[in-house]
Amino acid sequence: MYAGKLARLSVSILVFVGAWWTSSGTFFESAIVPSPVSVAEKLAEMIWNTKLFAHLGASFTRIILGYALGCVIGITVGVATGAIRLARDLIEPPLEFCRNIPPVALIPLVVSIFGIGEIGKYFIISYAAGIAVLFNTAAGVLSTPQIRVRAALCLGARKRDVFVRIVLPSAWPHILTGLRLALGFSFMGVVAAEMLAADQGIGFLIMQSTNIIAPAEMFVGFLMLGSFGLITDQLFRMTIHRLMRRYMIPLA
Amino acid sequence: MNWRVLRLEGVGKDFDRADGGVAQVLRDVTLSVERGSFFTLLGPSGCGKSTLLNIVAGFEETTTGGVSLDDMTVTGPGTDRTVIFQDVSNALFPWMNARENVEFGPKMARLSAQVRKERADRYLRLVGLDADGGKFPFELSGGMKQRIQIARALANDPDILLMDEPFAALDAITKKHLQVEFRKIWDETGKTIFYITHDIFEALLLSTHLAVMTAGPEAGIKEVFRIDLEEPRSPSNPDFAAMFSRVESLIDEEVQRMRAR
Repeated sequence: MYAGKLARLSVSILVFVGAWWTSSGTFFESAIVPSPVSVAEKLAEMIWNTKLFAHLGASFTRIILGYALGCVIGITVGVATGAIRLARDLIEPPLEFCRNIPPVALIPLVVSIFGIGEIGKYFIISYAAGIAVLFNTAAGVLSTPQIRVRAALCLGARKRDVFVRIVLPSAWPHILTGLRLALGFSFMGVVAAEMLAADQGIGFLIMQSTNIIAPAEMFVGFLMLGSFGLITDQLFRMTIHRLMRRYMIPLA
Repeated sequence: MNWRVLRLEGVGKDFDRADGGVAQVLRDVTLSVERGSFFTLLGPSGCGKSTLLNIVAGFEETTTGGVSLDDMTVTGPGTDRTVIFQDVSNALFPWMNARENVEFGPKMARLSAQVRKERADRYLRLVGLDADGGKFPFELSGGMKQRIQIARALANDPDILLMDEPFAALDAITKKHLQVEFRKIWDETGKTIFYITHDIFEALLLSTHLAVMTAGPEAGIKEVFRIDLEEPRSPSNPDFAAMFSRVESLIDEEVQRMRAR
């Protein structure tokens, strides 16, 4: 079983890399799609001269801070909108409107307000993350089965007990889905923000590579986004599996 | 609490309909349930049985009339009345194992860990699941889940168990076993039971009192019986059979009436 899965994974990766390799210099010009070898060389060079770490560090700091801020605000407001009807009626209409405005569209405005400093980037990322967390949290709080709440009331739970012991645990699977989606949105948000206004970061690296005609650098950027996105998502899933398993069990 | 009679007096319930009108679901329901009795409410589907149970539980307010224990009016959910729901997958807390579910009530009552453990041991044993306390609801069969729900209710030591078709969703064999066992549990614990079903056989097997409801809308009580059948109750007993056909004809009348409308 395990060996078979490993074999399929290897085939999948080999086909992907092979397609890239053979198309570079044939189907695409190698000045546009460089070969895996030249990208690997560029990667080694950027690690050696530590340029890569500066970009990675800049992007990760933005992601971590923006994401954390977005999650805190998203969960807080999401719980309020889910649990309190007045809050829902007041807060949801403008948010329903805002969720249609992608974070990228806000960048020009953010740059005009905050300039090209870090605050604007935190704003973009926490906006992207916060919206996803907020709507999932609110949906989770609202989806608590009525019977579950009633059962708790019969057993002597007070309002506060119902909220802490029944509603929140019922909402956890939704909240965690929101947090995981938000992680992906944070990566998108940081790249968009850095492409338009930054002097460091993976998004800047990708954008700048076309100006200085360094296609391999662009692909190093792709490589970083793909692999770090994958790694953080896997880590997130593992953490959930470890810590939150009892809330994620099937409701059979 | 020392009460003698659970009374429903002139209970009526209206719901707002989607089209803006008002649906009168229940009308002028008056019943007395004596302490210690096994009182079953039998009626055709959709006649408002569950609504009535939700009113007794305090989940829903009456439009007219009220519910009282002696002269104490019921104003909301309370630990003196615990509901056993049919939808046991949602009624049990899925992130708590069987034992934690059973201990929930005692925990809410701020009882010590020692007492909570004793209660859980006792009631898990009573429902025959003392070896399954560590299992989570998703690891248990429908029948086992329903046993846990019964244990959880009893561990909270309520005066009345309000049971909303608790065995209706179970397979026939499990249902039969649980009916017999539950009747024993009732004998042992002496709780007052307010039981809802559309299953005549089940009603005659279990209850001491039986109220047949009229068909909705504007459902009410058609007739109330005292059931003094020979114990242990058995469908092969001629009195049981006679009672069965009598109740069945009452229900049929109501179903006919509902169809005619």
